[in-house]
Amino acid sequence: MSASPTTQHPPAEQTLILVGNPNVGKSVLFSKLTGKFVIISNYPGTTVEITTGHSTFSGKTCAVIDSPGVNELAARTEDARVTCDVLRDHPEATLVQVADAKNLRRALLLTMQLAELKRPMVLVLNMMDELDKVGGHIDVRKLSELLGIPVVPTIAIARTGIHLLEKSLAQAAAPANLTASLKPQPPLSAATTNLPCQEEDYQQNIERLACINEILAQVYTRVRPRKPTFAQRLGWWATQPLRGTLLLALILYFTFWFVGLLGAGTFVNFFENAVFGRHINPIAIRVVDAALPFPHQHRHEASEYKLDIPLAPGRGIELFSSTQQVLSPAYTVEPGAAHGWWNAVIRFIHDFLVGEYGMITMALSYGFAIVLPIVTTFFLLFSVLEDSGYLSRLAVMVNRIFRAMGLNGKAVLPMVLGLGCDTMATMTTRILETRKERVITTLLLALAVPCSAQLGVLMAMTARVSWGAAVFWVALMVAIAFIVGWLAAKLHGGASSDFILELPPMRRPELGNVVVKTLARLEWYLKEVIPLFVLGTAILFFFDKLNLLEKITSFGEPIVTGWLGLPRETANAFLIGFLRRDYGAVYLLDAATGPNATLSPHQILVSMVTITLFMPCIATLFMIARELGKRTAAAITVFVFVFAFFVGGLVHHLGRWIGL
Amino acid sequence: MSAPNDYLHCPLCGFEFIKQQSACERGCPLGKYCRLVCCPNCHYEFPPELRVVSWWRRLFAPAACPKPPRDLFSLSELNEGDHAELVRLTSEKVSRRNTLAIYGLVPGSRLVLQQKRPSFVIRVGETELALEADIAGELVVKRVAAEGAPNTTS
Repeated sequence: MSASPTTQHPPAEQTLILVGNPNVGKSVLFSKLTGKFVIISNYPGTTVEITTGHSTFSGKTCAVIDSPGVNELAARTEDARVTCDVLRDHPEATLVQVADAKNLRRALLLTMQLAELKRPMVLVLNMMDELDKVGGHIDVRKLSELLGIPVVPTIAIARTGIHLLEKSLAQAAAPANLTASLKPQPPLSAATTNLPCQEEDYQQNIERLACINEILAQVYTRVRPRKPTFAQRLGWWATQPLRGTLLLALILYFTFWFVGLLGAGTFVNFFENAVFGRHINPIAIRVVDAALPFPHQHRHEASEYKLDIPLAPGRGIELFSSTQQVLSPAYTVEPGAAHGWWNAVIRFIHDFLVGEYGMITMALSYGFAIVLPIVTTFFLLFSVLEDSGYLSRLAVMVNRIFRAMGLNGKAVLPMVLGLGCDTMATMTTRILETRKERVITTLLLALAVPCSAQLGVLMAMTARVSWGAAVFWVALMVAIAFIVGWLAAKLHGGASSDFILELPPMRRPELGNVVVKTLARLEWYLKEVIPLFVLGTAILFFFDKLNLLEKITSFGEPIVTGWLGLPRETANAFLIGFLRRDYGAVYLLDAATGPNATLSPHQILVSMVTITLFMPCIATLFMIARELGKRTAAAITVFVFVFAFFVGGLVHHLGRWIGL
Repeated sequence: MSAPNDYLHCPLCGFEFIKQQSACERGCPLGKYCRLVCCPNCHYEFPPELRVVSWWRRLFAPAACPKPPRDLFSLSELNEGDHAELVRLTSEKVSRRNTLAIYGLVPGSRLVLQQKRPSFVIRVGETELALEADIAGELVVKRVAAEGAPNTTS
């Protein structure tokens, strides 16, 4: 992300830049200063976007900029580059360094580097309550004297000390010359690429730390630490081989239950059958029919609806069930009706809105009823895990496994996020340090990680095949991820990055924070994805009207019927799958489990394998092109296409040969 | 049974000899039925080891020679829960050393090894860091006693 959005804010009398290490509560402090909330995260590097807010302190209007968390002031990572850019673009700004009071040593390393810029600054010691809990004490006045800048202790979450901070902004001063021996380095040069680390930088950091030790000896005292809290113990357990694996299994099962059964089962059922199937769609059909009358008769279909609390796949406590006849988008034209051009136009608009590929009956009902509940439950759970600090510990658990794929444990974040939305996950591959890792993760996301919408549909399809086939499907996807990842790691030049990861303390997630974050992600999702659903449906609609669907289907028929052994209608599903692969999966689901199912279990397995491996949705493709460039995106696309059909066909032929 | 030319070790004094050198008294009434050998050095009588057992011992038993005492270790040699002070970083890559320095890990810093598997987790001050085994192997440390204030370094 470039710093361009920050340069457009209206002129303010003063600019404040919040700088600090990751996870020190910068974003919370920002929200308390400006009243605007942003994403707060425990995983280093989630706030890549910078946020700007406005506020008034002692009669002065003030622009407040929240910069990404950095550990040092050198443009070596994406986040640090953004922070350096922000600092360079606002030479007049007052710096507010936010520090974790528990971890003064690391904060002071950044203070030293900021001090070398000779700008007015204030040091905020946040999380003073946690410092107290671990049994530490900081002599704030002495620290302020030594550094020559105001030092304000705060507890941002509880709003303690915010007022004091606002007052002390007026006294912000350029810090004392602490590291006179160091030659001034130019950290804010307009570096566009990652700076290589020099021996000199390292030596300077060592000198700074030596200086910090002298300061700490004067201001920091620590009594014997108290007994570790439950959260601390949980944090330790989470990375141990046995307890960690148990905890991981527990969390995985809960995720499966919450997203796979509750979200993709109960909620989808409710929205699809009860809300859209019985109310919104029939009403829309009636309204459109009344507004645009032409001689036709909509069919009635039986709609079954069952509300249950799921326990295991296919089992649950049934609360309520009913069957009723509802109006369906399918209709018959009365024979002998007038075929004038006026009727044709009306029928065209009617079909565009509530027809088989209609905006309301297909795009919105799929987008809101099928995808939204799954994505919501996933993002909710993901936000909870993220805020608790568990995700970094997950990276520790899986590091060795990911090494086999030429990645390291840090890649687990995009991979897990990919189970929610591949497009968003592709964007978060930015947290990986080398291009090699970004390319491999993106490829694996595109190929073998099904997104939540798709996963829900695939889960439903697994219910139609045997246990063995379902296990085979999962095993095949895992095996493909490993083999392709391993091969890609071997073939792609360049080194993998070091696995040095900070583990943030385990915390109980704050409900408000989790909700705000989930809503922010959902907003993004709705803005980015619902238009794509509409676009995809519109393309399908026109294809259908122009009979192109037929032509493309017959073009793809030899591959689909010959090589994959599927009925020719499924070619449609693959075509739709090109636009959105979960969309294609929904289409296949209809063919597999719908009222007039046409697929045999063997064919379901083949289509499951193919659709999982298939081209990711068009939004993912755009995102890959944006992150890695057009050429890499094209290469990944071609590979994924060919590979999906190849493996699908292989499963079909091998399955037939073995006699399944 | 041990062959005549096998080396025998006296379990009492550690003297090494072959069977022919056994210091048995001549005219022993047990004669060839005796299964014992006698150490020519200390005259201790003992049954010789089975050859298989002595092979096994030579293959797998720890070396008899005691190791010279060391005070420097690689981090991967330490046990979980040990407190240590970083002496030097052997990594060739300056970027790796600098990354560790940013987290406060420079020569002279104190750390606690929290766990070794599946990855190394160390605590430097209030920072918990996860490291890979090969990076942990590059940290040369010396053991120190546990202390209440890990932030005070020399």
